[in-house]
Amino acid sequence: MVNLVNVTVHDFTFQYDHAPRPTLNHVNVTFPDHRFSLLSGPSGTGKSTLLKSIAGLYPEFSGHQLSGTITLGEHAVSDIAASQRSSLVTLLFQDPNQQFAMDTVEHELVFALENLQVPANEINDRLDKALAFIGISQLKHRTLTQLSGGEKQKVALAIIVAMNSQVILLDEPFASVDPEARHSLLLNLKRLVNQGKTVILADHDLTEYETIADNVFALDSASRQIKELDRDERYQLFQPFTRPLSQQFSLPQQQPEMMSVQDLKLVQNGRLLLGPSTFALMAHRATLITGANGTGKSTFFSALTRLTNYTGLITYQQKNIQKIRRSRYATTVNLMFQDAETQFVNVTVNEELALSIKHSQTNFYTQHRIDSMLADLNLTEHRNQVLYSLSEGQKKKVQLVCMLIMGAPVLLLDEPFKGLDYQSLQVVAQLLKSAMTELGQTLIVISHQLNGLDGLFNYHLQLRDGQFSYQEALG
Amino acid sequence: MSHSSSWHLRSIILLALISLFFGVIFWVISPLYDVLTAILTPMGLAPFANEILIGVWCMAGPVAGYLLRIPVAAFLGEFIGAAVEMLLGSQWGASDLIAGAIQGVGSELGFTLTGYKRYNWGTLLLSAVTVTLVTFGWDMIKNGYGSYHLPLLLGLLAVRFLSNFFFGGVLTKAIVNLLDRAHVLGTGATPQN
Amino acid sequence: MNPTVKLTLIMVLALEISFTQSITMNVILTLLGLIYLLIHRIRWQTLFYFLTIPGLFAAALVWSLLYQGTATNHFAGVIFSRMYAYVFLGGAFSLTTTPYQLAQSLEQNAHLPTKFVYGILAAVNMLPRIRREVATIRSAAQMRGVTLHFWSPVLYFKAILAALKWSENTAEAMTSHGYVEDTPRSHVITISISRCDYVTAVSLFILLQGILFLPVP
Repeated sequence: MVNLVNVTVHDFTFQYDHAPRPTLNHVNVTFPDHRFSLLSGPSGTGKSTLLKSIAGLYPEFSGHQLSGTITLGEHAVSDIAASQRSSLVTLLFQDPNQQFAMDTVEHELVFALENLQVPANEINDRLDKALAFIGISQLKHRTLTQLSGGEKQKVALAIIVAMNSQVILLDEPFASVDPEARHSLLLNLKRLVNQGKTVILADHDLTEYETIADNVFALDSASRQIKELDRDERYQLFQPFTRPLSQQFSLPQQQPEMMSVQDLKLVQNGRLLLGPSTFALMAHRATLITGANGTGKSTFFSALTRLTNYTGLITYQQKNIQKIRRSRYATTVNLMFQDAETQFVNVTVNEELALSIKHSQTNFYTQHRIDSMLADLNLTEHRNQVLYSLSEGQKKKVQLVCMLIMGAPVLLLDEPFKGLDYQSLQVVAQLLKSAMTELGQTLIVISHQLNGLDGLFNYHLQLRDGQFSYQEALG
Repeated sequence: MSHSSSWHLRSIILLALISLFFGVIFWVISPLYDVLTAILTPMGLAPFANEILIGVWCMAGPVAGYLLRIPVAAFLGEFIGAAVEMLLGSQWGASDLIAGAIQGVGSELGFTLTGYKRYNWGTLLLSAVTVTLVTFGWDMIKNGYGSYHLPLLLGLLAVRFLSNFFFGGVLTKAIVNLLDRAHVLGTGATPQN
Repeated sequence: MNPTVKLTLIMVLALEISFTQSITMNVILTLLGLIYLLIHRIRWQTLFYFLTIPGLFAAALVWSLLYQGTATNHFAGVIFSRMYAYVFLGGAFSLTTTPYQLAQSLEQNAHLPTKFVYGILAAVNMLPRIRREVATIRSAAQMRGVTLHFWSPVLYFKAILAALKWSENTAEAMTSHGYVEDTPRSHVITISISRCDYVTAVSLFILLQGILFLPVP
């Protein structure tokens, strides 16, 4: 049975509790059936909100629909009974760690099919076929928490295949997926479209979509409106993601070492993720770490901060970091976490700043300097605001200011530029530069965002095939 | 999230997660329990280790009851953690399950007595009193507390109440105040005065 | 044995020995649990742990009762053996039944609402992440010069924030995977309670009651 199901959004307005204004404002858009539609737009502009509304999860779980309708084919989403909805539309979530309820791959598939009341004698057959379609039959009996990000997203897609949903929604599905898995997932999505499914995928990183997407839509952050792009606009949109960046870095030679890594091996779920690798991190310089998603960059930071087990030796100023008292080491090698909320200890922006000021290890950040940092980052009028009600970009900026004020000898930064607008990015780059040159801080930065950061980094450490090496060029 | 009068999937998962988080935090400090027991044993005062820390054990109940504001939330918040602890093979075995149920009933009773209408300091204090009395009654039976001399028995009761008062009352209120200030509980979460 | 029947039997027995004072009963239950576990080939390390650790705490309690109270030797023996009976009764369940099996049985045999069964199961399956999150919370605070103790409100505040976020995401994910509260589901495996389960459980329970009437301590 192949139904032709357009997804039509008409005059749709949606607002969260406590939000000052609607996240989506009178949006009109039609995603055509039988097509691969790409929805692009910066992080935090409402792509997730739209997909969750199409999936019927909102406003059931969050927020309020203030106007408009969303229809799948001929039926309004709000009129479709919950028990019928998932065979029509299913969402694949951004965080692969938070989309399963069961312990193993098989049990999760069984759970989904039992929910649809598939007769018991058909369940095993349907489950095996779905796993085979995605090419992961060998994962059937594996424990979900022990799979890599890429494997988890493949399982999530296999579940959608087993459920045979007509409309498949994907919300930034590749954030922690390695390139091979990403490629295979995209090919499978294309196969599903050829079989008559409707795919709508939201992403801000547009690598590899140019040839795959049938239709491209852009969510404009200022107007909160969605429009379909014509050929010229498509070309404009994809250009930055196809043109290689031409930054040059030096190779470390005479620079003193701050930390060193000897025969480091990181094992995740019984599989060697990284190493054995031996290299040094240079003192008082900024080092950029690049490498594909899901290959172990963040796990490396976890090892450097003693949040994960490893084999081999990591030293800080020639001392084994395991031999340094935990509380002292924690304030020596600081980590700016990828998720800003993880960093926060308090409730309001001012409280969070006060904590950093109280425990700061430098007198470089005077009240005057902090005030002007906040002003440059447009945070001044948010100082009394609750941290958890800030936008993602604002959270990121507050987090960065707090970690800079701490003034630790080594600062590790995991995707510090995520969700920042161009102007903030420039300010942040300048702040990092002065922390390094004026304070002598050692900066190690994992970043996918490289545009607009010319001249910030001295060295480039590339992670490829489980090995770190210093490179002069990108790519 | 907003408070609703009945159980939904999300509130059940939230309740279970809170219960497990508290269980893990308690597990992190379990060496402290062992050390306290070791120090107190030569004087024949080992049960005081239990009395000092019991408030941490019983904390998931008042927190869940106060946050979710649904009847049975305090009981389940306490019981689920204990049941999972047994399922994972703890050193207390089946007594976990019974202790969890007893502590759950004790915590819940405080909320029941206010008719599930008032959520303030007094409710938490009342819950600390009920959980102390109910669990102490249980230990009279199960652990033979009845055979202690009266002064020691009163000492145990007093320490148990202080522990429940601090963790279930003072600390729980501080936690809920932080959550209120962070506006993460949605409308209606502010305590009714 | 069917998980629901097994759990019920064990709970009833554990409750019973909390009120009775028969050393023989406690010892027999401990031995039955031990034999059951040996049949199911549990790991030696686990067995060793179950045989030693509860003994230390039981001894500490018994010593206290004898030293600071009026407990008789028989009563001390009851308390000591009771602790072991609890542990082996609990072990006889927990080491032979997975949470998934228990969930299926509670859904199909005990007819517990599925939102409780799968809601709680989903949370249990997040245990490894819960452990990691607690470590991360403490570490993030430590980097800012703050050590979080078990009496620090912030530790619990951050844990509850994570629970709020995860519960919403997981409920959404389950809903997206077709789960709807209070709606019938099919079952790939039908879990039944066999006549044998009933007979074993009931006769075991009755036989054990006989011990209470024997002239033994």
